[in-house]
Amino acid sequence: MTNTKNAVKPAKKRKRYASLDKRKSRAGWFFVLPFVLSFLILYVPIIFESIRLSFYRMRPIIGGGFELEPVGFLNYQEALFVDPDFVRTLTSGLQQLAFDIPAIVIFSLFMAVLLNQKMVGRAAFRAIFFIPVILSTGLMESIDAQNTLNEYMDSASGINDGSGESVATDLVSALDVERLFANMKVGTELVTYVTTMINNIYNIVNRSGVQMLIFLAGLQSISTAIYESCQIDGASAWETFWKITFPMISPMILVNGIYTIIDSFTTESNQVMTFISGIYNTTDGNVISSAMSWMYFLIVMLIIAVVAGIMSAYVFYQRRD
Amino acid sequence: MDAQNMQKAPAVMKETKNKIKVEFERTPLKERLKAKFISTFFLQKFVWFIFRFVLLLGISYVILFPFFSKIAGSFMAPEDFVDVTVRLIPKHFTLDMYKAVVTELGYLEAFWNTLLLSVSTALIQTFVCCLVAYGLAKFKFKGNALVFLAVVLTMVVPHQTLQLSLFMKFRYFDIFGIFKLLGGGVTESISLLPFTDLNLTNTFWPLIIMSIGALGFKNGLYIFMLRQFFRGVPDELEESAYIDGSGTLRTFIQIILPLSVPMMITVFLFAFSWQWTDDFYTTLFFTTTKTTLMPDIISIPKSLQTNYAGQNLYYAAIRNTCGIMIILPLVIMYLFCQRYLIQGIERSGITG
Repeated sequence: MTNTKNAVKPAKKRKRYASLDKRKSRAGWFFVLPFVLSFLILYVPIIFESIRLSFYRMRPIIGGGFELEPVGFLNYQEALFVDPDFVRTLTSGLQQLAFDIPAIVIFSLFMAVLLNQKMVGRAAFRAIFFIPVILSTGLMESIDAQNTLNEYMDSASGINDGSGESVATDLVSALDVERLFANMKVGTELVTYVTTMINNIYNIVNRSGVQMLIFLAGLQSISTAIYESCQIDGASAWETFWKITFPMISPMILVNGIYTIIDSFTTESNQVMTFISGIYNTTDGNVISSAMSWMYFLIVMLIIAVVAGIMSAYVFYQRRD
Repeated sequence: MDAQNMQKAPAVMKETKNKIKVEFERTPLKERLKAKFISTFFLQKFVWFIFRFVLLLGISYVILFPFFSKIAGSFMAPEDFVDVTVRLIPKHFTLDMYKAVVTELGYLEAFWNTLLLSVSTALIQTFVCCLVAYGLAKFKFKGNALVFLAVVLTMVVPHQTLQLSLFMKFRYFDIFGIFKLLGGGVTESISLLPFTDLNLTNTFWPLIIMSIGALGFKNGLYIFMLRQFFRGVPDELEESAYIDGSGTLRTFIQIILPLSVPMMITVFLFAFSWQWTDDFYTTLFFTTTKTTLMPDIISIPKSLQTNYAGQNLYYAAIRNTCGIMIILPLVIMYLFCQRYLIQGIERSGITG
């Protein structure tokens, strides 16, 4: 008799309190609540509004306020076929994107590997390398965009009239490295790619701060035991990098590739973005800018999907759980 | 066996309390140095060391040079910009630009306003992102993946795309038409509120509301980083806390948050400095010049306006001086916080 009573009691309790899993899932919802609420209340309407607006034309009414007029795909048509600069800016912007992203990812991986090694002054170098993450964003970027002083100071000789062209700006062509590489017969495209990359080094360093941080974190998480056993087996540093570091860091390469795409097409220094905000500002809230940015966004999403699809086929995951 | 060992054991020459001097046959110093320094291994290491050092130094120069040139230019008088012999070291040292920026452009007001805005949004963002990231990392509930997808979506859609509708949203702020209903916008009979919508532009509210909802600038990235960090925190810690009778919120505040201080400082540093130098939201939401913020002070002070030869460079230098004044607080903060930044990142052990 007492046994059955004891068995019933917990059953009753279970009815009164939710199970641990249920309570935990409720707690989980509680934690993400601020985001979910604001996402539903603020973000989704804003996105729908933005998409909706791109199918409308806005007309200011005298005495304040706006009048909306549905125009179908007219905004899109105008952006693509009437506006003289949009398509040109878009294609050159996408070219630039295709150009910059491998450069940034390779550079940040290389720098992260270097900064991960034990050496004199590592802390100082790290501190210097992450300065751009904090300082070279937003306002500083826009100040730098029209900064003629920097080139003036950099130039070794010659009078600078403030036009931004100085003698020593083109680091590589000045040193004739370009010609040297050209003589090595590796293909002109590759040579120009590398030389423009080196000429743009300031730009690339500035934009690869977060990527370096992510790579550094990834490198830290690789167990040192693997490297030790490699050393014992007599692998060279080169082999160790390609056989151990590279596969282990490949998920990070995927993450960084996508982050770089997102980052470089959302920064204000991006020429397509500047073009679009320019249109937004000059025509006082014209809706063509909305249509343009949605088109641009769709194209970039497509690029992200393709890149993620291709890269994730080659990514190596250590633990498959 | 014993005898042999005894013979091989080095003879003790002198023995004191702490030290012991032993005599044994050593390779001569010359031989040892030779073996150490004249070998391909050492040579390789040495060349690599030099190469690495020069490379890092060079890139550090590339990073730091713009700052040096800005600082140098900010102390120059207009005469120095036409003088060909003057490069980095000013001949006519003045503080005119700094004086003008502080007195004429309302630097102090902008500083105070931006400080208020940045600290409040960064604190809110750090805390909210921690909450959301913890929920995503440690609780398996239905829709977890969906919420994470939403986070990624907010990260991917550039806010420039939403420029117009963001502005409209906060210009005519309303939640589900509640204000409109209560304010009498729908029917004349109900008018509990004196307004039908709120104009939140030119106040801090748009940014604060977005921060509370973790929709601020790059909040998706913070959530992603923190989520990876929380995933690395062992479950046993929380389980033991639950067994001791602690609730989820208490566990989060008393166990998890103290653990993640370096990571939180990293996120705070990002949020603070990106808000500090932001000019997208501030120019979007602050349309009048009533509240002076950092973007407003980048202009040419009246007392420094000139018309002569070096005008272009001089104006560039003035803008740069504004830039220096803007980032000065950030530099000071970075000096103190950079080791937390690196610690936080290293401990996060982000894996894809």
